Amino acid sequence: MPITTTRRRLLAGSAAALALPAFARAQGAVKPRLTAISQWSAGSDGAAITALGKKFEEKGGVWQHSPVPGFTTEMMNKLRAQIMAGDPPACSQLKGPEIAAWSKIAPTVDLDAVVAAAGYEKVVAPDLAKLHKPGGKWIALPLQIYSTNMLFLSKRAMDKAKADKVPVTWADFNDLADKMKAGGVPYPVANGGTRPDDGQKFEAALAGISPLAYRAAIMNLEKKALEGPEIKAAFAQVRKIADWMDPNVGAQHFSTNLKRFIDGDMGMMIMGGWAQGVLRNAGFKFEDFMIAPGPSDNSKPVFLLNADAFIFWQRKEPDLQAGQTLMAQLVMDPAIQTMYSQITGSIPVRTDVDLSGEGWSDGQRRTAAALKDAIASNQAVLSLAHNMAQENGMTAAMIDVITEYVKNKTIKPEQAATRLAEAVEGAR
Amino acid sequence: MTNAAAIRPGRPALPEWVRRLPEYLMIWVPLLLSAAHLVSFSLWTIWISFTPSTLIPVSGWVGLRNYSAVAASRNWQIAFDNLLLFGSAFVLLSLVTGLALAILLDQRIRGENLLRSIFLYPLAVSFVVTGTVWSWLLNPGLGIQKLVHDLGWTSFKFDWLIDRDMAIWTIVIAAIWQSSGFAMALFLAGLRSVDTDIIKAAQIDGAGPIRIYRRIILPSLWPITITVVVIQLQFAISTFDLVRALTNGGPGIATQLPALVVYDLMFQRSLLGRGAAAAVLMLLILLAVLLPYAAWRYVQRRRAAHA
Repeated sequence: MPITTTRRRLLAGSAAALALPAFARAQGAVKPRLTAISQWSAGSDGAAITALGKKFEEKGGVWQHSPVPGFTTEMMNKLRAQIMAGDPPACSQLKGPEIAAWSKIAPTVDLDAVVAAAGYEKVVAPDLAKLHKPGGKWIALPLQIYSTNMLFLSKRAMDKAKADKVPVTWADFNDLADKMKAGGVPYPVANGGTRPDDGQKFEAALAGISPLAYRAAIMNLEKKALEGPEIKAAFAQVRKIADWMDPNVGAQHFSTNLKRFIDGDMGMMIMGGWAQGVLRNAGFKFEDFMIAPGPSDNSKPVFLLNADAFIFWQRKEPDLQAGQTLMAQLVMDPAIQTMYSQITGSIPVRTDVDLSGEGWSDGQRRTAAALKDAIASNQAVLSLAHNMAQENGMTAAMIDVITEYVKNKTIKPEQAATRLAEAVEGAR
Repeated sequence: MTNAAAIRPGRPALPEWVRRLPEYLMIWVPLLLSAAHLVSFSLWTIWISFTPSTLIPVSGWVGLRNYSAVAASRNWQIAFDNLLLFGSAFVLLSLVTGLALAILLDQRIRGENLLRSIFLYPLAVSFVVTGTVWSWLLNPGLGIQKLVHDLGWTSFKFDWLIDRDMAIWTIVIAAIWQSSGFAMALFLAGLRSVDTDIIKAAQIDGAGPIRIYRRIILPSLWPITITVVVIQLQFAISTFDLVRALTNGGPGIATQLPALVVYDLMFQRSLLGRGAAAAVLMLLILLAVLLPYAAWRYVQRRRAAHA
């Protein structure tokens, strides 16, 4: 392993040395231009990408971003149409294993030289890096990271339970939920009813019980792991969580119930880091809630990675090529990542960014620290519910089982585990 | 026009086909265009359904593999069962509601125009809006159940929206609210077109209103009934936006419908081949409804021509 790494670095380094003057020339000769599509049009996402565009223009580039508002799938439909018409954008939003899948249908840009020149690889979580270099070459760059299993605690619900300790393991979590229920919190777990919501409950449970089993079963789809006891234990934990949730939420978005969560009507929420931004936007104060890494039975933080990224599509136009180089440099730049994450509430992809300064929240600092710890203990894994662990088809087949299990209390954990393994087989 | 042209002296009458050219253009061009669209896209979808297409359409041949994968999937099986239940319940109940409303309106009551507009109005509302509003009304924590609880009847329970066995009925309720006005309008037209002489003759013979309805008016409505059934059935089969806004296939996957499965396969799972196969299966279900209807129309016309 160390040998291959060195050789790869050597290769990358020499490629960079050869390529750099060419980039410099290209940038000198033409005005860099970038055509980009993403779903980020409004709110903090829209503000962040607009700010990125401003930086691009400050560097002398022409920024041509066409947002496709709505779900990611709608952005993908536009991307699909453009690729089929032979006119892909120079750069588009895409994430997770979809990067590998889509890179097979149209040629992408080899970013190895630019990445090596920036020394980027050593500051990116290894699992994350792998997703962005499907054929061994960097073709996409991650932009920002969220953890999907942060634990949000309502201060008022904690007061009702007379508790002040943040739960570390699932046993602690279950204890606290019981205490909350006894203390008069009607629903110890706050939730929404969407598919990713249900998926997040399961992935948080499994990764918290055993990150190793999560990696084997969910990320590598190993048959033995899928039939293992950890999966059943995770489903059993999900049933407990589901019993503590308000059944009336139906298919609502998690944000619908944030007021009840803050009021202490609901106690704990397992949600991505973005909920912090939503809570803050809704006018709630940091004193109203606490943020901690999700429960982990070995007490070391488990980090379920969700990362937005840009993929770069091959174009012949010199100005677009120059624009792609400039964009890649910007996306890897710590200052740009800082700017971006401070707007959206995510954390930077680079693990070497200092979050102690102003502009960062405690939640972001805690998330970044959790990521660092999780990488060190090999407990940073890829989120299933947010399409990071598997391609969309496989993800959807697995979430089908999970969401049905959450909503149907007659299904036993053993049955759910069997169905999950069957769904994986069916979707292979 | 024809006469004017004919009597004007010294000017030869235009040939028949030239004079009728605008009519032909008016009818045939849009007809051909839409037929070409319909047929070409249907053929395209059928072709895709036999290919291994995933993210983008590719050529290749996988036989019936996409079909067997769709048919074996839990989502499709649930969707198909739901379609049978939803389709029959919705058609039957909207028929009964529409007919009842039409008969009540037919009693020459005051404010008929106003009432008719009110009952017909839901049809003008988009299904997404209907679905969203009903999702609030039917939500036990927000809507009807909460209202009754707040009024004092705290044991009242109406939580079909979150009950996976009953959730499909919430879609039936919303769909009936939306489209029974349409059935009513057609039935009302039918009721009004019954020959008044026959009714008067029956009255002279001493038949009461119930008997007149049962023996004379309702039997004359059955061609309209069949039209309503066919129109509502094809609506039921292609229902998408209503269920997407109301339950989004949930709780869990309990209210899946075929159109949702097609969309999900094609655009969320990026399995174009399987999505196309599901779409073709939907087309077959639709044909199973429309072909007998077309045959029936044909027989009707033959009979009328012979009579």
